[in-house]
Amino acid sequence: MVRQAHHNIVTLSLSKGDVWKRLLPSNSVDLNPMAILKNIKDLNLQKIREAKLYRRFASLKTSIVLLGILVGFYILGTIFPQGGELEEYIEAGGRFASLVVFFNLLNIFTTPGFLITALLLFINLFICTIERLFVLLNQGIAKTEDLQFIPTHIFPLEINPHLEDALEGVREVFKKDLGFREQSSDPEMLDIGTDTKIIEKGWSYKWLTWIYHLSILFCFLGFFLTYLFSFEDEITLRPGEETIIKPAAISRWNRSWGRKPRELNFRLALQEFITEYNQLPALDYPGDKLSRLAVGMGWRDPKYLLKNESYFPKDWKSRLKVINLSPKSVIGEGNQAVLEKTIEVNDPLFYQGVTFYQAAYKQNLKIQVDDNPILLETETGKELIVPGIEGTFIFGTIRTGALFKRDGTIEKIRPFADVSFIKKDSAGKSEIEKLGKLEQDGSLVVDSRRISLKEFKEASILSYRYDPGVPILWWSGVFVLLAMSLRVFGAWYRIIYRIEERKGIPHLLLKIRIKGLMADEERLIHRLKYSLRKMTEPIDLDTPV
Amino acid sequence: MSNLEAILSRDAYLLSIEIRLFWLVALFYGICLILYIIHLITKKTGHGRIGTNILWLTAITHAGLILLRTFEGQRAPFQTLYESLSWFAWSASITYLYVERKWKDVYLAGILVSALSMGACFYALLTRSPAVEPLSPPLQSYWFEWHVILAFLSYAVFVVSCSIEISYLAVKPSVKKGLKLEYGLNMHNLETFHRQSFRLALFGFPLLTFGIFSGAAWANDAWGRYWGWDPKETWSLITWTVFAMYLHSMSIPKWKEMPASLLNILGFICMLMTFIGVNWLARLLGIPSLHLYAM
Repeated sequence: MVRQAHHNIVTLSLSKGDVWKRLLPSNSVDLNPMAILKNIKDLNLQKIREAKLYRRFASLKTSIVLLGILVGFYILGTIFPQGGELEEYIEAGGRFASLVVFFNLLNIFTTPGFLITALLLFINLFICTIERLFVLLNQGIAKTEDLQFIPTHIFPLEINPHLEDALEGVREVFKKDLGFREQSSDPEMLDIGTDTKIIEKGWSYKWLTWIYHLSILFCFLGFFLTYLFSFEDEITLRPGEETIIKPAAISRWNRSWGRKPRELNFRLALQEFITEYNQLPALDYPGDKLSRLAVGMGWRDPKYLLKNESYFPKDWKSRLKVINLSPKSVIGEGNQAVLEKTIEVNDPLFYQGVTFYQAAYKQNLKIQVDDNPILLETETGKELIVPGIEGTFIFGTIRTGALFKRDGTIEKIRPFADVSFIKKDSAGKSEIEKLGKLEQDGSLVVDSRRISLKEFKEASILSYRYDPGVPILWWSGVFVLLAMSLRVFGAWYRIIYRIEERKGIPHLLLKIRIKGLMADEERLIHRLKYSLRKMTEPIDLDTPV
Repeated sequence: MSNLEAILSRDAYLLSIEIRLFWLVALFYGICLILYIIHLITKKTGHGRIGTNILWLTAITHAGLILLRTFEGQRAPFQTLYESLSWFAWSASITYLYVERKWKDVYLAGILVSALSMGACFYALLTRSPAVEPLSPPLQSYWFEWHVILAFLSYAVFVVSCSIEISYLAVKPSVKKGLKLEYGLNMHNLETFHRQSFRLALFGFPLLTFGIFSGAAWANDAWGRYWGWDPKETWSLITWTVFAMYLHSMSIPKWKEMPASLLNILGFICMLMTFIGVNWLARLLGIPSLHLYAM
């Protein structure tokens, strides 16, 4: 009946103005809150569902079109570097600067075009979910095509000559042997007759489909919360340091209300920073294709060499302590350490809704030139000019901590950095010369000057983020995956059957409908035949009861 | 010889065996491709059958190769692009062989699968370093194995789905006209064969969904945010969206023919972009990606 009503709805053609006139009472222009409330109460839901715009949003075609538009935005987002600056884009050879500025292509996922399309998809999904719910709640009396009874399988029940016995026997087979359950549908409403039964097995695919679509709606809610309320920033801490957390960033929501970032209610201390490396021997393997073919043919062998070994990062960790500043902290007093944890990549610290991640680390070093007591300070990876030497030095990452060697032993690394020297030739072209390893308290001689690494300090860079959308997203994600997997990989069967007497013999007539990749009609028929054969076996009168 | 030198010597020996075996596997994928092409031209089932038998042999050898790599690295063998290309080639072939068992004397879909497997193997051998490296800190996560295995299984399934779709589109006009074909397809089984393409995409979709969700959960742990519009992330979302469009279009009577078929093929192209093309795109356009290890 609902399905028939839908057909009528689609044929209605109303202008948008007409639709709203029909939906709301004539005094709907009254802006009095009580009047608005009354108008909301007077809204006719059926009329809303009849509206052309509503029907458009309840359409699967609309979903596909909106998804297609979103794909267009996504592709643009991979062509233009997101979050970048216009100058960087132009420097990198970007040729569409005016288009980039006009359409804000470097931040396309925050443009009104993208956000509106996403919103329209949300509305489309919401309406489709509501509509599907109506159908599901009414499916007990719904007269749908799949409930019309046109039998596709007929089995004679030869040994059970009485119709009533056969009916009871078949019912038992379906229920006990095959695990089906009877549907409590009204046969008269279904127009299939009172002697026809509907049985089902497996999780209802319609409900599962509905659940994962609803869960996707909740995912949208998670994205929305992230978009409005999340903020992130980073702090740099040296071992032994303690700091308050005052984010420079602020959520979109607070920014729109003109609020300023607030200090968090706890301090963070870095107790220790640890770096670990794996020994990685260099592979002597050709780069050109013919030489590689030679290796494949066995004319040449690959080799691992230790002399060019590199230190491959194994882990970097920060041992953190959280100090609560509230008068009543978790353990009763303020200014108490309430949590200690060693964090690393993939294992963050979570406290009061804020998550701290091991993002990176930085190293500062002090360099002595000859015996000059004034030390030069620099940071790894940055250029250093040494007075009296023409050119600049670059000190690579200082390797320190533990080295996990290939033979299973662990060695303490004597801190060192790879040093490069950049010199400009007469044409102004830069030349990079690798000077080699500079160990702590060791030295390198450049232009008759002795360069020594006297000391270095490490600092852990921690990023932190507040994102209230994450829990909602994870929970709804779990439901999406569970419901989708059960729907797709599971097995759902519906059998409509009837027992009819044909030429004095009862016959089982049935129609099977299946859903899910595990559903197998042939296997079901096979099992049914086997069970029916058991049921129709002649009674052995010689066997004592 | 010190203990360390002995270990390095053993590692180099194992690597040399692995590389030679990999060349052999790539070559055999090529032989399968040639046999399938001969089957396409001659319409004789014999060539297709031999192609499939050789493909079984190749896939079994390739499985041994992947196990050897796992032993060498003492970890799941899909950290670098060299490794994931090998994994992709194997998973696509084994998925095709599993699906093909039900289709006696239908070998058309083997052309694209063996071509892709061969291409992936040669691309890995000729352009990527085969060095066995330990896991970098971002990859040391319990998500690593599940995320990659299931995402790649979805890729493999989409490859076979697309191969069937293309085979169907190629054969359909002749079959509908009632012309006699010898590819094992006729008026009676053509639509069931095509249905297999939809069932495969349906199978792959939850796997890809899991791949995206697990990737987001992993990124949240490792990088401090679950989504950053990184090119790899965005292309995986594009692939997901296109397959969502395909699956939905299959329930619209007017769209379930050619438009749906085109969407299935487009989804496959997007999948290739997610896996390989995005690296090229990121390099071409100078877009930084956090998925550097996969490049």
